[in-house]
Amino acid sequence: MTDVADPPAETEAHADDGHGAHEEAHGHGGHHASLGLSNMKLAMWLFLGSECLLFGALISTYLLSKARFVAELLAGNPRVLETLPVGLAEEFIEAGSVEPMWDIPFTSGSSFILLMSSLTMVLAHKAVTEGDYRNSRVWLAATALLGSTFIAGQVYEFTAFYREGLSYDGNLFGSAFYTLTGFHGAHVTGGIIMLLSLLVVSFRGKLRQDRAETVELVGLYWHFVDVVWVLIFTIVYLIP
Amino acid sequence: MADTTTDTQAHAGTHADHAVHPTEKQYWIVFVALAVFTAIEVALSYGGLEGVQLVAPLVVLMAVKFMLVAGAFMHLYFDLKILNGRLFTWAFGGGLVLAMGVYAVVFAAFRFQV
Repeated sequence: MTDVADPPAETEAHADDGHGAHEEAHGHGGHHASLGLSNMKLAMWLFLGSECLLFGALISTYLLSKARFVAELLAGNPRVLETLPVGLAEEFIEAGSVEPMWDIPFTSGSSFILLMSSLTMVLAHKAVTEGDYRNSRVWLAATALLGSTFIAGQVYEFTAFYREGLSYDGNLFGSAFYTLTGFHGAHVTGGIIMLLSLLVVSFRGKLRQDRAETVELVGLYWHFVDVVWVLIFTIVYLIP
Repeated sequence: MADTTTDTQAHAGTHADHAVHPTEKQYWIVFVALAVFTAIEVALSYGGLEGVQLVAPLVVLMAVKFMLVAGAFMHLYFDLKILNGRLFTWAFGGGLVLAMGVYAVVFAAFRFQV
């Protein structure tokens, strides 16, 4: 039924592939559609598109919540003032922003680590593509390790902020900040789990050259997480 | 015979995808560029600039970093070449421009009642 509806070029490729299509789907990690791009990869891009909407909404919410929080703080709203320790509230009012909260050198280090993990991820994919399985494991492990270091840094940062008096449920700014960066951290954690799964599959000898697209798909997700951090780092930490 | 033909086509498709991807050296160059842009961003934030003078270069650098990661590391630039369709370039580029436009309008029109 489907073959009849396909355009001529597609029909030619499928004309006599009763077994071929099956083998292709299983042996090469995805069916190449008439677009010239595998369906799996296109599906991953669609998924990442929906993730863009999620993070777009979270970033918008953060910006609006922070603006309202600072406006109310500067207007001396007692309901907002009482959500912060006196010292921290005074620092915010003096700066006219939440800038005194951030530890830019530390967060810059975390950003650098995440950028580096993107490099190790593409190197892992390249190694699998070239059949260099030993190096692919090294790069996959390095990516997972760098991702874990980033998460450790985020846990440290959250702990430091909480001790300074910024709680999750205290005010709009705290809720929006922890939700945005926490969601990103959860995505990084998900990526680390995927990377470790790939490592296990690789050690079992099942991550061969013909499954390189699986690594590329995980890579797409990982780079997306990196690109979201590029936005968060500038919008949340650097722009006052 | 039919299996072999399809199998070869699949191999050709897969290899065609990878053939146009960047080299290892190019990946390192992109990474160094990203690190340098991040360092410039941090330096700008300590440079004593305010308002548009600070925000404009930060947003430009952020957009450049975004495009470098999406284009080189995520292979978007190369995959769009494979797709060979302006439709896709317009779909991604148009979506980005539309999203930024909506953001700009919403934030410009938003007012708080304190």
